[in-house]
Amino acid sequence: MNKKAAFLFLIILPLIILGGCWSRREINELAIVLGAGVDRAPDNKIRITLQLARPSAFGGGAEAGGGSAPKQNIVWVVSETGNTVLEAERNLVLKVSRHIHWGHEIILVIGEEVAREGVRDVSNFFIRNPQTRETMWLLVAKGEAGKVLESHSELEKTSSQSVGFLSRHKAGFSIMLKDFQMALASRGTNPAAPRVEVQKLGQPQGPGMEEKLQHREVAITGTGVFKDDKLVGWLDTSETRGMLWLLGEVKKGIITIPSPGQPDKLVSLNIIRADTRVVPEYDGETIRFNVKMTLQGELLEQQSTEDLTKPEKIEAVEMAAARDVFMKSTATLEKAQGEYGTDIFNFGEAFHRKYKKDWKKIKDRWNEEFVNAEVNIAVEAHLRRTGLLSKRASVKR
Amino acid sequence: MLEGGKISSRQATFLMITLIFATVILFVPGVTAKHAGQDAWISIILAIGAGLLIARLVTALGLRFPDKTIFEYPGEILGRWPGKLVGLIYIWWFLHGNGEIIRQYGELMTTAFMPDTPIIVFHLAVVAMAAYAVRNGLEVFTRANEIFLPLMLGSIIILFIFSINNMDFSRLLPVLDAEAADIVKGAVAPLFWFGQIAAITTVIPYLNKPREAHRVAVVTVLVTGCFFLLAVVGVLVIFGPHHPATYIFPVLNGARIISIANILERLEPVIMAIWIAGGFVKISIFYWAAALGIAQVLELKDYRPLVLPIGAVLVAMSILLHPNIIDLTVSVGRVWPVYGLSVFEVGTPLLLLVTAMVRGKGDKRD
Repeated sequence: MNKKAAFLFLIILPLIILGGCWSRREINELAIVLGAGVDRAPDNKIRITLQLARPSAFGGGAEAGGGSAPKQNIVWVVSETGNTVLEAERNLVLKVSRHIHWGHEIILVIGEEVAREGVRDVSNFFIRNPQTRETMWLLVAKGEAGKVLESHSELEKTSSQSVGFLSRHKAGFSIMLKDFQMALASRGTNPAAPRVEVQKLGQPQGPGMEEKLQHREVAITGTGVFKDDKLVGWLDTSETRGMLWLLGEVKKGIITIPSPGQPDKLVSLNIIRADTRVVPEYDGETIRFNVKMTLQGELLEQQSTEDLTKPEKIEAVEMAAARDVFMKSTATLEKAQGEYGTDIFNFGEAFHRKYKKDWKKIKDRWNEEFVNAEVNIAVEAHLRRTGLLSKRASVKR
Repeated sequence: MLEGGKISSRQATFLMITLIFATVILFVPGVTAKHAGQDAWISIILAIGAGLLIARLVTALGLRFPDKTIFEYPGEILGRWPGKLVGLIYIWWFLHGNGEIIRQYGELMTTAFMPDTPIIVFHLAVVAMAAYAVRNGLEVFTRANEIFLPLMLGSIIILFIFSINNMDFSRLLPVLDAEAADIVKGAVAPLFWFGQIAAITTVIPYLNKPREAHRVAVVTVLVTGCFFLLAVVGVLVIFGPHHPATYIFPVLNGARIISIANILERLEPVIMAIWIAGGFVKISIFYWAAALGIAQVLELKDYRPLVLPIGAVLVAMSILLHPNIIDLTVSVGRVWPVYGLSVFEVGTPLLLLVTAMVRGKGDKRD
């Protein structure tokens, strides 16, 4: 009998100790960070801005909006200063009633000033802390990071989610924290990060919407170029395309070129597939990179009225598309080699892979070597399809 | 007979694979990458080769005395008192080594998953469980392991497949970028782990067919080596040459970044499950070997009364061994490989085997 009682006790005991009451945190005790921004504050301090989710507002109520019920704010944006990121977060504890939870952070926005001084000072917390994710998207704000997080989103529930989706679709350049850190650790490349800005997008729809802060949304407007961990300049959206081409990260996109027979009218190609190969060559003196890009596209829009269904016309379109890609990547390359003097295209890595012995000699001054490197870009474009039409349907014959 | 259990060759293979694999995936990828960079996989292959030699060595020694453990036959080879000393050395290995294992178990849990829980809670829980398993004998945790091991190895394969879209195999290039000396240095830590196959010398008498011990040891090193290679190559092609050396648990970081269609994410609990199951079995084996060893060296009739006192020693040891995780990683990366290989895994077995051969002791069939 005693033994039975002891067994029963042993069986019940785990119920008490395995219940996980030790450091449990219910969801209504958490302040969930969706996005974080890091800015420079006076006295060499760091200002962090957190976009915290308000779980109560995430429920159905917000959807009903449109005038009748006042639309609740779905996030709460707070900021605080400190000497380090962690210190600033701790200082926030005096203001935020809940436990700050980093596990769902989607974006990390670095303010322009901090980025120009160096990202290493502020990024360590986000990769060392077990709560934060290495897969969060890293962005550079034009101006203050805090302003970016104070924005709204019409389609998504929060602007952090909106930026997260923008990054994930890879329409422009986007980079995860882990890849940014890997680029920082490598001597053969320099990191880059998308530039975000708050823009007024769309028009207020319906009564009572004008005075709201809505329609101030975050947009990706280019790319920030780094030299080691310091921001040195920007690329606009067209140069970003060139950068994607040189990196071999073009997934989709369009190319608009003049129509071969009617140069004042345009045609647009949709890129189906693209590929970039970088082959370094080194003869002991000059470093040469042969970059070969191939793309396959389909013709999806034609402003001109000419008949493009002839093989020689298709060839002309292919030539023009190749020239367009060539021009864009050359422009980006010139900017990187000339104005910024920084290799953001992994060229050093490619060189390292092929010439590991010579690399040891030049790796410490790779950016200078890169500036003097000769880059030959060759583009091959293939027009595979022309959509549902062959000739234009709306032309009188 | 102190231990009445008998296990089959397959069970023994499973047991030995868990013994090595459970802890090798924690710190070792980082240690190897620190030396060899993207050539860490070459280090692992070197270590597998050398590990096979150790496997051959310890089974050759064990099979000279197929019905005795390493706590008993040194007495026959070297004489009663020197033999007891060798027995004590091995008891010390199973105690000290187990303290380290338990600490690693706790550090992973507190660092990555439950930062607020005192580390001793994990130590107490796992040692209590292991004590129960050890009291019930070899067969019990061997059978438990037959369930755990396929799940562990299967999870490693699944995690690798899920990571494929994070991988870039060109990160392994250029091959042989590291200095040859660094690649060899990188091989030492994994070799120490593969060399833990020396623990098979405590199990050989309890095999159904002791003669198959050779095959058990060789298959163990090969299978463990392949899965470890998979994990290390995975880490290298995900993070490149620089990052794995800076992570404390690189495989855990690899699992953290898995994201399949934004649905399958945050798979690091899988790593935790592998580690809890594997760590429990590994701790049980070392615990059992220590208890059995003390009983055999002191010529006791039963090892069961020793189980609880040893457990208390293990918990105390696991806390007292290291003041912090940096001390632990230094010990795992630099001290233990040299200490373990030279004393327990190669030095003493080689000495015993050579002496046995010279003195003509034991079964000479091998």
